[in-house]
Amino acid sequence: MSSTTPTAPSVAPKPGTRTIRIRVKRCEGPGKPERWEEFTLQVSAGDGTNVIAALQRIAAKPVTVEGKNTIPVAWDSGCLEEVCGACTMVVNGKVRQSCSALMDTIAPNEGDVVTLEPMSKFPVIRDLVVDRSRVFHNLKRVKAWVPVDGTYDLGAGPKESPETQETRYVLSTCMSCGCCLEACPQFTKQENPETWDSAFLGAHAISQARLFNMHGTGKQLEKERLEALAGPGGVDDCGNAQNCVKVCPKRIPLTESIGAMGRAVTIHAVKKLFTLR
Amino acid sequence: MSSAETTKPQSFFEKNHLLLRRLHSLTGIVPIGVFLIAHLVTNSSILWGKVGMRQAGHDMTMVQGGVTYFQKEVQWINEQVPHLLLIEIILWTALAYHSILGFYYARTGRTNVTSYAYQSNWRYTLQRISGYIGILFIIYHIGTLRWGWTFLVPGGATWSHEFAASTLALALRGGEDFTAAGVAVSLFYLICVSLLVFHFANGLWTAAITWGLTISQSAQKRWGYVCAGLGAGLMLAAWSAVVGFATLSPAQARDFEKKYHEKYGGPAAVEKLGKPATGPSMNPSTSAVRESVPVQGQ
Repeated sequence: MSSTTPTAPSVAPKPGTRTIRIRVKRCEGPGKPERWEEFTLQVSAGDGTNVIAALQRIAAKPVTVEGKNTIPVAWDSGCLEEVCGACTMVVNGKVRQSCSALMDTIAPNEGDVVTLEPMSKFPVIRDLVVDRSRVFHNLKRVKAWVPVDGTYDLGAGPKESPETQETRYVLSTCMSCGCCLEACPQFTKQENPETWDSAFLGAHAISQARLFNMHGTGKQLEKERLEALAGPGGVDDCGNAQNCVKVCPKRIPLTESIGAMGRAVTIHAVKKLFTLR
Repeated sequence: MSSAETTKPQSFFEKNHLLLRRLHSLTGIVPIGVFLIAHLVTNSSILWGKVGMRQAGHDMTMVQGGVTYFQKEVQWINEQVPHLLLIEIILWTALAYHSILGFYYARTGRTNVTSYAYQSNWRYTLQRISGYIGILFIIYHIGTLRWGWTFLVPGGATWSHEFAASTLALALRGGEDFTAAGVAVSLFYLICVSLLVFHFANGLWTAAITWGLTISQSAQKRWGYVCAGLGAGLMLAAWSAVVGFATLSPAQARDFEKKYHEKYGGPAAVEKLGKPATGPSMNPSTSAVRESVPVQGQ
């Protein structure tokens, strides 16, 4: 328990507390150089400190381990209960929501280091904040919505069977956080937005295409979704590394969605081949 | 960022994306995978050939049985398989297509096993590495054994389909006895055929997802067991072949091949063997062997 930390000289370590190190990849803006900064933090077991709380405490006193004053770290967060996806970042080398990353789990011992990096597949806006526009752009590519414009009353929608509902429910929990994309070796960073339309869509978009193809009204756009999935960057660009399903915080069976959409594309292509147009 | 479908004209590759992708998947299974199975099973006969000969090999040792059976298989392929040239053209076309597009597709990804060391992610990475090394090996394999690139063979042996086992053993060992370079070539073969067997078995597993045959995780797992089983069997065949040929004494094999040709082959084959300068002395019990080997296929 001997405290050798240069940043917390006034506070004597309380019993049950430990000092951990937070390493943050800093970047002041798009195109600016990256650098690492390290901070120390006193936490105690059971105090519920998560990455966001740690960043808030660092922001309150932004002094690095070298004793240098620095600018508070920028991060993004929203719901703080792992349903919005805004705080997604790379924690200790793996992508996840930082709000549910508790220090007691990720840095349980004295001197443990927690590294925080922005997701590498999206452009960095500042520090840990990235621009996830491409996630939503790819949802547009597969028309991941139900086509109702609300201009007139369509009446009651088609009935949904409990089986379909069961399959669709878990697919609908996708929060577009980007974990599946960050961990995917086939989803690579595209510096130029012009290449977005031909680069791999990602597991989330494939899974959402499946969700809306299974929807009574959403089905109306089925063919258009399958055309997008059959095209460049579509479902065939998946390399089956299956990292997506392992890092998905909502445990969405993304690889099953990829298989299901592979089958749908196969059937669609065969039908098209044998249909006079 | 706007809908580019209408504004930007699509290239040939973009227009036929699905067809090209699925052809890439298909060619890996038919004809390449099917050929791989046939090729490895044939070559593994160097070890189990005596068993394959049934009663015909009753008085042979395992080594003689292997050499004899393998020789018979090679001659059957060369002399009796119909449309051999057509088969070769189809194989070459498929291989060129699969490797060129495979290379291009592999370059679209960036491996990340250091961060995400999952077993499936390792297979993804290994699938690409085995593809790169595999095609180089195939070119070396055919270049040295079929196109006469003897400068790449330690000892400079040329493969002859009339003395199939002995010349192959020469090429693998780097001479009559193992040389250091020969050990390297044998190990290179062992590693590369293992990688190619993996590439086929794992490719078969991923193809089932691509085409949508396996959807549920349990289905993918079940198909995974089938692919692993097939892979294990092929791996065994591949290792049998490499170990069988690398441990074979070329001199002894030549002797057995000579006996084989004396019994079944035309005089041309025996003539080619002719030069006794390099070969060992004739086995004195040739006539006994000759009488004990019944003619195949009667």
